[in-house]
Amino acid sequence: MEEDNKITDKKVIETEVTMGTVHSAAIEPYRVRLFVEDEIVRDAEITVGINHRGIERIMEGLPVEKANSLTEKICGICSNSHIWNSCLVAEKAIGIEVPERAQYIRVIMEELERLHSHMLYLAHGNEVLGHETFAMRLFYIRETVMELLRIIGGNRVQYGVSIIGGIRPRCELDEMRIQKIREGLNLIEEKITEFADRFVSDPMIMSRITGVGVLTQKQAIKLGATGPTLRSTGVGIDLRSEMESYAPFDFDIITQNDGDVKSNLLVRVLEIPEAIKIIRQALDNLPEGKITNRSWEMVDAPITKSYIEVPRGTLYHSYALEDGRVRNSIIRTPSIANIGAMQYATIGHHITDAQLAIVQCDPCFTCTDRAIQIIKI
Amino acid sequence: MSLKSYSRARAVHVMLVYTGGCNGCDIEIVNCIFSPKYDAEQYKVFLTWNPREADVLVVTGPVTKHNEKPLIEIYNAIPEPKAVIAAGACALMGGVYKNIHGDIPSEEIMGPVENIIPVDAKIPGCAVRPEDVLSGVVAALPLLLDAK
Repeated sequence: MEEDNKITDKKVIETEVTMGTVHSAAIEPYRVRLFVEDEIVRDAEITVGINHRGIERIMEGLPVEKANSLTEKICGICSNSHIWNSCLVAEKAIGIEVPERAQYIRVIMEELERLHSHMLYLAHGNEVLGHETFAMRLFYIRETVMELLRIIGGNRVQYGVSIIGGIRPRCELDEMRIQKIREGLNLIEEKITEFADRFVSDPMIMSRITGVGVLTQKQAIKLGATGPTLRSTGVGIDLRSEMESYAPFDFDIITQNDGDVKSNLLVRVLEIPEAIKIIRQALDNLPEGKITNRSWEMVDAPITKSYIEVPRGTLYHSYALEDGRVRNSIIRTPSIANIGAMQYATIGHHITDAQLAIVQCDPCFTCTDRAIQIIKI
Repeated sequence: MSLKSYSRARAVHVMLVYTGGCNGCDIEIVNCIFSPKYDAEQYKVFLTWNPREADVLVVTGPVTKHNEKPLIEIYNAIPEPKAVIAAGACALMGGVYKNIHGDIPSEEIMGPVENIIPVDAKIPGCAVRPEDVLSGVVAALPLLLDAK
């Protein structure tokens, strides 16, 4: 009952502090209204919609191959997740079998992406904490992953690995690339272990982040939080354990129990070695054979759905196919599910912790903003 | 060389404005200035989030409808002399979001950046590479240093 009181306990609201839409504290454009009483945040309101580009509208009526490439431009951080899920929808709708080797390479790309996304999150978190040295160190470690992504995909940010029925021929993993990935992983593992030891044993940082931005398990479930934000409250839900592509791999689901900034940061820190473990297993057991299945014909299909686990949580894509064109596309990204959690995490804490409490949920407002409808008044 | 341009040459402050792209260019520019691999700070290029102390404005993204007014306000807040750099395919010509249906432009996109504020240097790429960002900032420097 205590948690419920926390949200409904609105006495006289004295001050409103507004940040955004373009603000130095918020790198991406979004708007936060904090209702403050004696420097304690009593209520918060996050407004999104500033980045609306209407991607779902643009996808309507496009040929499915072109629409898949467009989904990659939704987000510059988890671009591979979007194109992978979009291809999965088409494969499910048409009934295409993907070669096993292609599935392994898709998993390798996804886990590399998880590495760079989590490192970016940790770097940004440390920057907000005021610890620039750790932030720079994480940017330095992240460069190794970016280089690996460039070697495989040909571009540092949007690499377009998946196509319908497999992966692009230029992203085939030969011996040289496998060797480079192994060397890169060894380096990342060494550096990230060193970072994690120093991070956990730093009393200054630990005292700053413990007990800040607390999200209880009950509230996280109620607000529909997803991904590492949910796992930081002790709920061990990870869609990877149910995905067909991840069936051959052995990995642990990381959970923490406190739901504060410390738990959120530690979930990401501990997921990095798990991702490295999955990539190593995939490289060791990489099956031989084709990487693309080209023997399929386009058919009309009703609305087909697909869910996958991406670095920030559960990603949903769905569309129908009509004459090889996309109809009724819907995309739901994890950040929109976490907005409630972000708002709740700021309540009851000092106003200086508000930004940290929002950043701990790993917001990506670029992803979020194509998923909403702007009503003209 | 006046005292102002002498000091300006030793501390170029870059402000990054993000107007609705995909985050890719955004992170690459922060990476270029912040990360120890590219480290633009060694050339005395600093990242700032305050328009009043900025010299160079880097704009990424295709400028969505809601971002047009803030962008003009930020541009007006930067003191003279100033340079504007458009970074990435979206900022240069609207990218995949503007002209995807042939000649019918999207209603949500007000860009490219040139339509809204004057642009001095352009950095192509989707997403921009950190090396290109450095050369773009260097290309805009004469505008700042030669100003009276």
